[in-house]
Amino acid sequence: MPHRVILITGANGSLGLAIARAFLDEASDNLVWLGVHRHREQAGALATVHPERCRLVSLDVRDPASWTAAVAGIQAAHTRLDVLANNAGVHADELLAMMKPDTWREVLAVNLDGTFHGCQAVLPTMISQRHGRIVNVASLSALLSPPGQTNYAAAKAGVVALTQSLAKEVARLGITVNVVCPGYVETEGLAAMDAAARQRAMATIPMRRFGQPAEVAAAVRFLACAEAGYITGSVLKIDGGIF
Amino acid sequence: MSNTAELRAEVKRMLVDNLMLQVTAEEIKDDQLLFGPGSLGLDSVDALQIVVALDKNYGLKIPDPETARTVLQSVNTITAALEQHGVTQR
Repeated sequence: MPHRVILITGANGSLGLAIARAFLDEASDNLVWLGVHRHREQAGALATVHPERCRLVSLDVRDPASWTAAVAGIQAAHTRLDVLANNAGVHADELLAMMKPDTWREVLAVNLDGTFHGCQAVLPTMISQRHGRIVNVASLSALLSPPGQTNYAAAKAGVVALTQSLAKEVARLGITVNVVCPGYVETEGLAAMDAAARQRAMATIPMRRFGQPAEVAAAVRFLACAEAGYITGSVLKIDGGIF
Repeated sequence: MSNTAELRAEVKRMLVDNLMLQVTAEEIKDDQLLFGPGSLGLDSVDALQIVVALDKNYGLKIPDPETARTVLQSVNTITAALEQHGVTQR
């Protein structure tokens, strides 16, 4: 029997992969399910390296039926699910005055609806177990609300509020729900910024460096560990000191 | 004991076990309200646990809050819903 069964969404991105590696490192018998949608090359490569401990599962986080199928598959394999890391996210930055409704809806659908569907899909299992750890990945944008990110900031602020409300709902059932808010981290989003934008971003960070995905992953792993059992509804900024 | 009476007793044990109630199964009356004034004193989180337990133990799905309000009134209403679902005993 595996030590813990973990499901990570958005597992093909650099942050999702780092979270997966953190849980693989945590215990040699952890079993990590990598939720992937359109892209799966990187996640597939990780699963190839750890064929006994890493599995891919198709998961469109916007779709409740996709969640039902994914969780049913994990349940069928292990009869349990210990950790959900809701990491899948997208952003499509634009000034609100110029933003198309579809752009708004898509960012809300992946970031906020996806988190809602994920929590709803795993709760019956976690309630039955009387144990579970949910860690949601929001963003510093949820707290700072930068211009050009009305959709993303609103979605991630929604994730923070969802986390804290759900944490209260399930606190006495042995389930914790926490959220991390990464700042500027070396992920695909940061790589897509031009040099001038990166320089402006860097100037706002007291530590004068960008974060590493592994530093966010370590926080996710901590919030999901047994020793963090009294921490729920927490909002953990991981941002090099921006506030 | 009839099948219905045995199922009622099983439902009471399920409530006590899942909700960690401070009463025994025998102390719960068949028609005692589960929620609200003068009831067993359950709350919405207890309701959530009952919904999960009914699905897990009997395959009875409570699809929406309206159905929950109807089914989860008392041991009698839960038992009736289980019988309607084709359950006699686990």
